[in-house]
Amino acid sequence: MPSLPDEWWRRWRQWRWLVLEAFVIANLAFLALDIALAHSFNRFAHPAEWIPLAFSLAAPPLLVGLAAAAGGRPPAGASRWIGLATGALAIAVGVAGMLWHLESAFFRERTLESLIYSAPFVAPLAYAGLGFLILLNRMVPTGTAEWARWIVFFAAGGFVGNFGLSLADHAQNGFFDPLEWIPVVSGAFAVGFLAVGVVARALPPLLWACAVVMAIQVVVGLLGAGLHVVAVLETPAQGWLGPVIYGAPPFAPLLFVDLALLAAIGLADLAAEAPREPALAPEGAG
Amino acid sequence: MARFQTVFVAVFVGTALVVASFLLHKARPAEEVREPSAQMVKATGKCVSCHRRETGAVVHQFEKSRHARKGVTCLDCHRPVAGQEKREHRGFVITRDPTSANCRTCHKTQYEQFRRSRHGAPAWAAVKGREPFTEKQIAFAEKHHPGAVDRPANKLAQLEGPAAMSEGCASCHSIGRPNPDGSIGECTKCHGRHRTSLKLARLPRTCGQCHMGPDHAQLEIYQESKHGVLFNAQRDEMNLDARPQRLTTEDMPVPTCATCHMSGLEGEGVTHDVGERLSWYLFAPVSEKRDHYEIAQREMQAICMKCHAESQVEGFYEGAESVLASTNEKVRHVRSVMDGLNEAGLLTEAPFDEPIEFTYFDFWHYYGRTAKHGAFMGGADFVQWHGNYELLLKKIKIEHAAKKLHGHPATRPHEESADDAESPR
Repeated sequence: MPSLPDEWWRRWRQWRWLVLEAFVIANLAFLALDIALAHSFNRFAHPAEWIPLAFSLAAPPLLVGLAAAAGGRPPAGASRWIGLATGALAIAVGVAGMLWHLESAFFRERTLESLIYSAPFVAPLAYAGLGFLILLNRMVPTGTAEWARWIVFFAAGGFVGNFGLSLADHAQNGFFDPLEWIPVVSGAFAVGFLAVGVVARALPPLLWACAVVMAIQVVVGLLGAGLHVVAVLETPAQGWLGPVIYGAPPFAPLLFVDLALLAAIGLADLAAEAPREPALAPEGAG
Repeated sequence: MARFQTVFVAVFVGTALVVASFLLHKARPAEEVREPSAQMVKATGKCVSCHRRETGAVVHQFEKSRHARKGVTCLDCHRPVAGQEKREHRGFVITRDPTSANCRTCHKTQYEQFRRSRHGAPAWAAVKGREPFTEKQIAFAEKHHPGAVDRPANKLAQLEGPAAMSEGCASCHSIGRPNPDGSIGECTKCHGRHRTSLKLARLPRTCGQCHMGPDHAQLEIYQESKHGVLFNAQRDEMNLDARPQRLTTEDMPVPTCATCHMSGLEGEGVTHDVGERLSWYLFAPVSEKRDHYEIAQREMQAICMKCHAESQVEGFYEGAESVLASTNEKVRHVRSVMDGLNEAGLLTEAPFDEPIEFTYFDFWHYYGRTAKHGAFMGGADFVQWHGNYELLLKKIKIEHAAKKLHGHPATRPHEESADDAESPR
């Protein structure tokens, strides 16, 4: 952004690879906790439910080690290939998870209702998204518009998931509280702005608008987490674990904050590299 | 303007997604979302998402029920009512064992009719006596059925032991058990648990789960009767799911147990008091008229006359009551024989410790009842061979045994004890 000092941009260019890598590692690690809680709902009824947990426990230390060995820069040689394999595995875990989640109900009875009440089918794609980010961080050089746009693309994809999940999850209780529409509306606009951000020229009005929309996502995420915690506290169950497992998922709204941060990485890089962007449309067109 | 073009596109995309979401939600069936709480809405599908895998039949049964069609959720029936143990179950508070108290929340009239019937407390007291009931429950039941609840536990069942009592007697008699929540009985005995079916309750086989066998052979008698034969021939053409208040002879041109005893056929009043249309205490050793004899008979005959002429109905009742009077006479006579033995001190005071007591018990409890039930249900063979023939045989045996006990051997030495002899049938 023109209004930010050059020193800020210089530092950003120095650290952006590591920032994205740290984002991926932190998310994979946090998913271990999230999966442990989510699959506790049916007490890990299917052995395959342990796979994402095992992956989330194993992958972060591996990626941290690889990044440390490379001095916080994009690894090369064998380290790069190990990273790529980890990313590919994450994609496989995510896609397989989605199919298994759909199999829980949707593939048996292909209705919207079964989609609502099946295991959250979009959720496992978090692994696929993180897997693609791992690949991106090793296959596409930083400092290119492609790197930034892919990040915005994956953030947009994440918000598609957020939009779908908040729509399906809140449909379970029929949007009983009108506040439950907030993440749906918020997610819809996040999808709209980031989708346009992927394909359109990174002009300041769009980047600022995206930044504002992402800031709103942060607020919505924090508000949602608070409301979910309140709902959890009201969930009838003994101890603290029961309400967390069976009540409103307290971590789910934080995905809005998380994806806003991911989008911010891509948007910041688009802003940093804006002068290099080719014109997608002639000035003044339309 | 061009600088903001992309922003407009983004707003358009976002708005389109929001509108699509609202339209999708609006298209959802109203009964799924019009519930008093978020938990109730959630229960429409959340329970199914696990139970389709864990206890799938339960889900399929419920999905085929009228309850499901009317938007009743799992939680509607499994929500604990006052007095029930609350159980936390994956984010819901439920009762594991719904009772008639849960059914009562919507079906109050039916429950009250049921509660005052002999399917209520008297059914359980017939086995367990007054002990399991509260004073209030006893007082209520005694008002409608004097002596039926304020009574000791069944002596025969006690002699047979707790296993026979719990796995045998209680299986049927629990229809009137007192529940921990203060309610009486189990509606699911007749309606099933998750299908909650009218059709099920109208099938003779359902009543026949309990109303069969030597002590009250109603199912067997029904199957032998013209009603039963016609029902078996025509059941596929009948509408057994018709609403009770709108049931017509077109829906059920042939009656089942429920049609005559409970239904609102052609505008008659529906009742869950199964004794409401009964005019005699047929189960008793010597049958007496019920308090509401005339009203009950009029109401039952009103049902009969949906299919039969008045003269035909009157003739039928006349014949049935003549069998009843004749059976009463036979039982009175044999009872006097037994009383004579007791007065002479020839029998112990303990119940069911001498063969002749079993013979007498069979006399009225099996064959006396069978003859009377056969007469009132159109089962000729049960009036004759399963009823009166056995009454005669047992009467002779008891008389001979009594004479022996009085010291007047009436049998030749080579003859075995009358009580041990098998019936030729």
